[in-house]
Amino acid sequence: MVLEDLRVVAFTVEMALVATAAVLVPGVAAALLLARYRGPGRSALDTLLSLPLVLPPTAVGLALLELLGARRPLGRWLGTHGLEIVFTWKAVVLATAVMSFPLLVRQARTAFEDVDPRLVGLARTLGCSPLAAFFRVTLPLARRGVLAGTVLAFSRALGEFGATILVAGNIPGRTQTLALRIFQEVQAGRDERAATLAGLTAALAFLALWSADRIGRRARERAP
Amino acid sequence: MARRPLLVALALLASAGLSPAAVRPPLAANPRMFAAGRDAPLVFAAASLSDALRGIADAFEARTGRSVTLAFGGSGDLARQIQAGAPAAVFVSADARSVESLERAGLVKPTERIDLLSNRLVVVVPESATHAPRTVRELASLSSLAIADPATAPVGIYAREWLTRAGVWAALEERIVPTLDVRAALAAVESASAPAAVVYRTDALLSRRVRVAFEAAPHQAPRIVYVAALIAGAGERGREFFRELRSAQARAVFERLGFELLGGP
Repeated sequence: MVLEDLRVVAFTVEMALVATAAVLVPGVAAALLLARYRGPGRSALDTLLSLPLVLPPTAVGLALLELLGARRPLGRWLGTHGLEIVFTWKAVVLATAVMSFPLLVRQARTAFEDVDPRLVGLARTLGCSPLAAFFRVTLPLARRGVLAGTVLAFSRALGEFGATILVAGNIPGRTQTLALRIFQEVQAGRDERAATLAGLTAALAFLALWSADRIGRRARERAP
Repeated sequence: MARRPLLVALALLASAGLSPAAVRPPLAANPRMFAAGRDAPLVFAAASLSDALRGIADAFEARTGRSVTLAFGGSGDLARQIQAGAPAAVFVSADARSVESLERAGLVKPTERIDLLSNRLVVVVPESATHAPRTVRELASLSSLAIADPATAPVGIYAREWLTRAGVWAALEERIVPTLDVRAALAAVESASAPAAVVYRTDALLSRRVRVAFEAAPHQAPRIVYVAALIAGAGERGREFFRELRSAQARAVFERLGFELLGGP
């Protein structure tokens, strides 16, 4: 156990962090768009962005594999440019990012919707550029929702299984995250090993949620 | 400003997300900081070879100082992953069919595949079972029978062929419990969640928690052939391990675990 398991834990956290970082900017942008945009196609976009939330993860994994597989046009094109994704750690990041994305968007969007548009308007009349108004008014007011969404996305990324196993496989030392390793141990009938790893996963998830709660509380106390 | 730390943290994360190398872990210039054996060739192999290949890879590493990364599963599943772009250098399949699918896809050259091993099918029951089927006919009285899913694992296809030839498949079909691979079928019997399973003889020999009820009769059982193949684009180190599979050391390991050797060294 020990060293090998710790490496899997570290790898899992690393992948979840990268996936969360990757979805942060597009996620916040999408949330803002959904909160503010009122034109045609809005609910279609909303539904599309929420799709990974309701689809079986394996369906999402299959879609990614069909898109990026080495024998598919896009996958082949990326391959000729030196970017191999499927069955590498990049596929782990991609699968977990896609699955976590809607969680961030949903939370952040609610938070943005709660920001009084008049405050943003006020900032604009006082000479703020739209970008400055976003960073100095909208984002600070919505930060709790954005943070909660980020943590949710991270937690989801930590435990992602279905999409990951399809696009990244289950290769020990290369693409194997905690969730995949638990699966492997159970399949091989090593239930005790699986239980140890499940305990580790639970501890990790607890730590993530607990620290998020702490950060959130501190932010709340500081809020006016 | 009290809110600054949070904003700074968000901005940092944002810059990581915005950078063109967003898919590159920002923690280190070295991608996959926490992944092991980045340069070691990747070997995909049938689940039934887990113990044999681990032994061979360990001995190989002890002798040469070079390691390989092993990944096991149902051969059909692994072949599909290789077709989809999994960066395997060597593939050891429990059947010829999976390797042939790779040949058709241009991923294996006919000259770079060898028939390596053979094996036999047995029926296992939990060690504690009070009565066990003794013939293939008696399998019909079981409440369920675990076999590796014929869709992903050759042992499932072999088992189905055997049971069909023996004339009991139709009666049993609804009570078949398909598992991910042969080791999962074995594990189902070890934990007594299935009363019996069809597995390879070599898997049965490894477990103390199951016993062999009977072996498939040679005239009814399909011929089992394990094929080792070098995957197109494999480097010199992958080629080296491919050769290692035919070495005297490897053959000794296969033999000790109960495999039947095919072809000369």
